[in-house]
Amino acid sequence: MRVLGMDTSGYANAIGLVDGERVLGDFVFETRNESLAKIMTNVDCVLKEAGLGLEDIEGFGVGLGPGSWTGIRIGVTVGKMLAYSTGKPVRGVSTLEALAYGARDCHKLICSIVDAGAGGTIYAAFYRSGNHKIHQVGDYYVGDPASLAELIKESAVLVAKDVKKYQSVIAQRLKSNTIEAVESRPSGAAVALLAAARLEKGEHDDTLALAPLYLKEATARAFVNKYAKRAQAAQQG
Amino acid sequence: MLVLGIETSCDETAAALVADGRTVLSNIIANQLDLHCKYGGVVPEIAARRHTELIGYVINEALDVGGRTLRDVEAVAVTAKQGLVGSLLVGVAAAKTLSYTLRVPLIGVHHIEGHIFANLLSNPEIPLPHVCLTVSGGHTLLVYVRGYCQYELLGGTVDDAAGEAFDKIAKFLDLGFPGGPVIDRLATRGNRKAFAFPRPLLKSRTYYFSFSGLKTAIINAFKHQLARGEALPLEDIAASFQEAVVDVLVAKTLRAARQREVSAVSVTGGVSANSRLREVFADACHKEGIKVYFPALSLCTDNAAMVAAAGHARLRRGQVDDLSLDVIPNVPLEVQHAG
Repeated sequence: MRVLGMDTSGYANAIGLVDGERVLGDFVFETRNESLAKIMTNVDCVLKEAGLGLEDIEGFGVGLGPGSWTGIRIGVTVGKMLAYSTGKPVRGVSTLEALAYGARDCHKLICSIVDAGAGGTIYAAFYRSGNHKIHQVGDYYVGDPASLAELIKESAVLVAKDVKKYQSVIAQRLKSNTIEAVESRPSGAAVALLAAARLEKGEHDDTLALAPLYLKEATARAFVNKYAKRAQAAQQG
Repeated sequence: MLVLGIETSCDETAAALVADGRTVLSNIIANQLDLHCKYGGVVPEIAARRHTELIGYVINEALDVGGRTLRDVEAVAVTAKQGLVGSLLVGVAAAKTLSYTLRVPLIGVHHIEGHIFANLLSNPEIPLPHVCLTVSGGHTLLVYVRGYCQYELLGGTVDDAAGEAFDKIAKFLDLGFPGGPVIDRLATRGNRKAFAFPRPLLKSRTYYFSFSGLKTAIINAFKHQLARGEALPLEDIAASFQEAVVDVLVAKTLRAARQREVSAVSVTGGVSANSRLREVFADACHKEGIKVYFPALSLCTDNAAMVAAAGHARLRRGQVDDLSLDVIPNVPLEVQHAG
């Protein structure tokens, strides 16, 4: 099944193309704050590079985040409208899962991490691998890197962009040198591979209902900081 | 020519189908008031999240109600300028994707141009040139409409928009959000002359407006009444406040009409639904021999039919965008001289 995958959760448009388990192309377009301006041009560029047209694509994969809230809204909106207007299925994939997928042949606990933007907060999740596949263990984590260390009880591999900074904090905290680090960033092909595996089994999402993965705890924190006073003032009068 | 319009510049997720720039086949608006009212105003992050959830459903509904399919859409017009950046980008991302997959032209529209077209859509007979007052929760703007897609900015508010003043007064008086409709209702039972509130910048020869001082005057009057232990006639406050806003809006618009020697004015935006504003405009214009036009009530507040109509006009003039279309949250209406 030919699937186009994209992830816009960071400051890049990651777009990849797969056919079943085979990667046809995997591109990262650095965009800084221009991900919206460039997204469709980039999608078109990837299709042309592969010598394919939109009509050759059988499904879509979308990185749902966590990550930049603005970024994931662009990816989710583009993904759902691509699926809606072509009548092809779409499957959302956690950006943390797509990151961890890159380390699927490593037989340690995999911990993927995404920077949550302000204040050193991170999003993270744990995965175990086997048979070229990964599955999530436990819940998503939102907090600081040092507290994440307390959840790691065994040798592990960290997967993240700028992974060294997390590795040093966590290894120091655990007084352990069994923490490996893999430098990685969201990949369109990883999103497409994960989506293709599910779409082939008929496990697609409801196209119009596709929604970003914001992670509630992070949202709650941001809202307490930014809007609590305003809500209070509004209630008082 | 069937144009799909998309509008997500603030807190309304809207999509519409308009044929040939004049016939509204569908006009779907999902508003988010329930989500924002506890904060006493629009919270940008909440608005952007809700747009992302609703955009597909709203577009689908616009097609369903219009009795058409995506294959029938010949162009996509979207509000790309003026609004909340996070909100704008959801609509623009959807529009770009549809333009790409359907291989139809994409047209980015300025939100104010949309409002100007709301009136042209309701009243195709409005003569050109004319003077247009756009008055809403986010804008108070006087524009000289020279022709289709040719504008000259005359003036705007230097602080609060007129609709914002309604919202803030309603919030102060604990009447709920948005303030326009509730003040309009209360005012019908009040005495418009009970309080002599200021008419800011009424005598100024410019086309600038200011409403924040008026808001303060009302809050002071309210506190004064309270301190003296006198009754608080909410209806009178609402009626006197509304009268002050209406007086300024009508006087400035008519002055612009006289100065520009036009035979017609159009009033558009959410506040153009206000019953007293419509009444005073009608009287004053009648006296001066000037015609006044208002959009249908369904086209007063933010909607996508007006965006589709504006997009259609731009498309006919060959003004289309490519896939690199981006959002611009704060930019004046493009001034285009006769051509």
